Amino acid sequence: MAGPGEGRGEGRMSEWEPRIVTILCNWCTYGAADLAGVNRLQGPTNFKVIRVPCSGRVSPKMILAAFRSGADGVWVSGCHPGDCHYISGNFYARRRFTMMRALFRHIGLDDDRLHFSWISAAEGPKFAATAREVIAAVRRAGPAREWGKTRAQVV
Amino acid sequence: MTDYTDRLRAAARRLLGEGRVDCFIGYRRGSLPLAAQPAILTRAEQADSLIWDPSCGMNLAHYAVGRADRIGIVATGCVSRSLVALALENQVARERLYIVGVPCTGMLDAGALRRRFPGREAAAAAYEGPRVTIAFADGNEELAVAENLARPCRTCAHPNPVVADEMLGEPVASPAVPAVPEEAAAAEARSAAERWAYFCEAFAHCIRCYACRNACPLCYCPTCFVDESRPQWVGKSSDPTDTRTFHFLRALHLAGRCTDCGACERACPLDIPVRHLTSRLNAEAKAIYGFEAGLDLEERPLLDRYRPEDLNDFFK
Amino acid sequence: MRTRYYERDAFPPAVAELRRAYRVFVPVRRGDFHAFAEWDDSVRPDFDYRKTRVPPKGLVFPQSERLLVFSTDERDPEHDILREAPKDFPPQAVVGIRPYDAMAFRVLEVNFDTPEVRDPWWLRRREATTLIGLARADEDATMFRTENYAGPFDERGLDVIVYDLGRGYLAKALGEKGEAALAAMGGDEPAADALREVEERIARAATPELPAGRLRAQPAAPELPTGRLRAQPVVPLFEAEFWDEVAAPCLNCGVCTFLCPTCWCFDIQDEVRKQEGDRIRNWDSCMFPLYTLHASGHNPRGKKTQRVRNRFMHKLKYYLDKYDRGVMCVGCGRCVEACPVNIDIREVAARLNGFGEQVERHDR
Repeated sequence: MAGPGEGRGEGRMSEWEPRIVTILCNWCTYGAADLAGVNRLQGPTNFKVIRVPCSGRVSPKMILAAFRSGADGVWVSGCHPGDCHYISGNFYARRRFTMMRALFRHIGLDDDRLHFSWISAAEGPKFAATAREVIAAVRRAGPAREWGKTRAQVV
Repeated sequence: MTDYTDRLRAAARRLLGEGRVDCFIGYRRGSLPLAAQPAILTRAEQADSLIWDPSCGMNLAHYAVGRADRIGIVATGCVSRSLVALALENQVARERLYIVGVPCTGMLDAGALRRRFPGREAAAAAYEGPRVTIAFADGNEELAVAENLARPCRTCAHPNPVVADEMLGEPVASPAVPAVPEEAAAAEARSAAERWAYFCEAFAHCIRCYACRNACPLCYCPTCFVDESRPQWVGKSSDPTDTRTFHFLRALHLAGRCTDCGACERACPLDIPVRHLTSRLNAEAKAIYGFEAGLDLEERPLLDRYRPEDLNDFFK
Repeated sequence: MRTRYYERDAFPPAVAELRRAYRVFVPVRRGDFHAFAEWDDSVRPDFDYRKTRVPPKGLVFPQSERLLVFSTDERDPEHDILREAPKDFPPQAVVGIRPYDAMAFRVLEVNFDTPEVRDPWWLRRREATTLIGLARADEDATMFRTENYAGPFDERGLDVIVYDLGRGYLAKALGEKGEAALAAMGGDEPAADALREVEERIARAATPELPAGRLRAQPAAPELPTGRLRAQPVVPLFEAEFWDEVAAPCLNCGVCTFLCPTCWCFDIQDEVRKQEGDRIRNWDSCMFPLYTLHASGHNPRGKKTQRVRNRFMHKLKYYLDKYDRGVMCVGCGRCVEACPVNIDIREVAARLNGFGEQVERHDR
């Protein structure tokens, strides 16, 4: 069985472009993405953006569903700790992400595939820089074949 | 252990007889040797059917969920922790529980016995103190219970009930607990690709019977994510990706809630190491947050609270 | 009827001969348990096994099977039209299947092969399957006899019966499929003493003598108590008070149903990815609340007791009444062995069978 690590380096293949599911908080990072766009800071089209009301809304099943549906990487981003629109949503989210990430690493998920950040609505340049960083990391990791379900493997 | 059986019966008889509780949850003798069956008694005269021995491994807290009456229940360390966790999540009411605590020296692992005596079938079992005698068709074998414990019991950090209304015995010492459970430590030594291969193989023969989920006292959702259809998070076929997704999510739903009783692994008909994932999460919760589930009725569950200074190092 | 004899070591190579014409499934050890697996170079058959953990039911009725395919692409002139999933049903031989698991297919067929409905996937797999059974008197203490399992030498469900004589195996064909398989396996005519030994073993098994001590913790009868079930009126049984007590320890997991060689329930799901759709049939379990959940949200079997009652009533009463082919159970004991809370069908059958009699029940 091929391990997830074995995809590494395949990103250099000419046609393959990483597909990255990006889950963004409406009140901050989504705005930062907007700002980055207005300021023409971002070019890549690798992201499928999902807007959520708060990073606290993000459940592990969304992240697994993204990988299962063929994402090569997932990036979740919310407001800086202390700046949550709902006071504490991202504080709860942080604990949940910490446990989730620990489990995913343990079962062999490449660190380059799962990313978290805090980006405020004013941080357009940070958004653009982080986006480039995430794309580069997922490209390093290569296509995530083992996590995706193409078609049910049944008789 | 016989001692505890007598004391347990007396306690149940008294509680039911005096009307302190409406039911009493314990174990009775099963139809197979090495099996105990959870039983819910409602009359004092049924008390003599209760037993207590190292076959009483299934977590009884499961049966306290969703009951509106006053419940008497016999609890070891892990059962009491499950009850605490359930009380914190409003699934049982502490004031309607009467917990009869038993200091626990560990439960037998039927799988270990199978491996120890391959092809031989136990006909009967008798427990005497720390030893068990198992009758096979071709002769008896006497074993130390402590050497044939179920995996979670071998590293149990809380063998004594953390909360009880009465205790049937003096507290016992816990076995030496390694910081990281042995299976997880072995897994840690492997590379990420090897771990992935290990989990793929480990779950490859899962039949999706959900015994692991249903045996867990903390799995009480009225609709489990595997049964949700809009959206459908997990496919229902035996596709390996879907099967693994079920196991990963099941474990994550227990993050900061699992009391490591091992009911999931005990219930699995195929000996799949389903507890591996949850015990790994338990170790992480302890290492990162110093948290263990179900120890304190005043302490909110791990994921139901936060500190501003919580670990933040992997956020960009 | 062709009979053949194989020395112990010559048997696996004879079975291997079948691989030229069949996909051959054999018992293999997997961890603590055995399972049927296709015999390729990565597995080693173990014919000394006693029981597989998961029954070989799935070789004819797979846990998950793609039935139909469709396209949702509207540019496709045939979009949204269901077509049969293309697949082959090559001849397969299940070698080493035990008589109870073979009989299970006869119990199952009333659901898939009826005058009104003939399930094409079941029919073709069943037709392509040759059951080469292993007969050895090694029943364990969780097993019992029913109308659909007469004991370790029951040949009713088999195409070939292979008697394990210790030093070797004696195989007897039981029909056309069996003749063909045995011809492919080669082997010698058995000597008279081997035939005599088979007779003796069968005679001995007719009056089973259980090793001393074995049944100490067991109900005394190796026969499932079902004699009075046919005459029991169904409604009082349904309304009997004991169901709550039977169901109390149940976790409502699917172990008993998924490990049962005679449970046939399934659910059908469509899975669509991009514009390609699959209609997949999956095993289902009457223990799951979802099994009976209506689209309205109403659940006619919303309570645990109702589900437990349905499982046992189906096995022990409804099947019996509807088909007149005995109870829906071949006595393999898997549910008894693997139930996490030790719910024992023998005890439930005794309650049903004895219902209405003033039998004194005392707690075990």
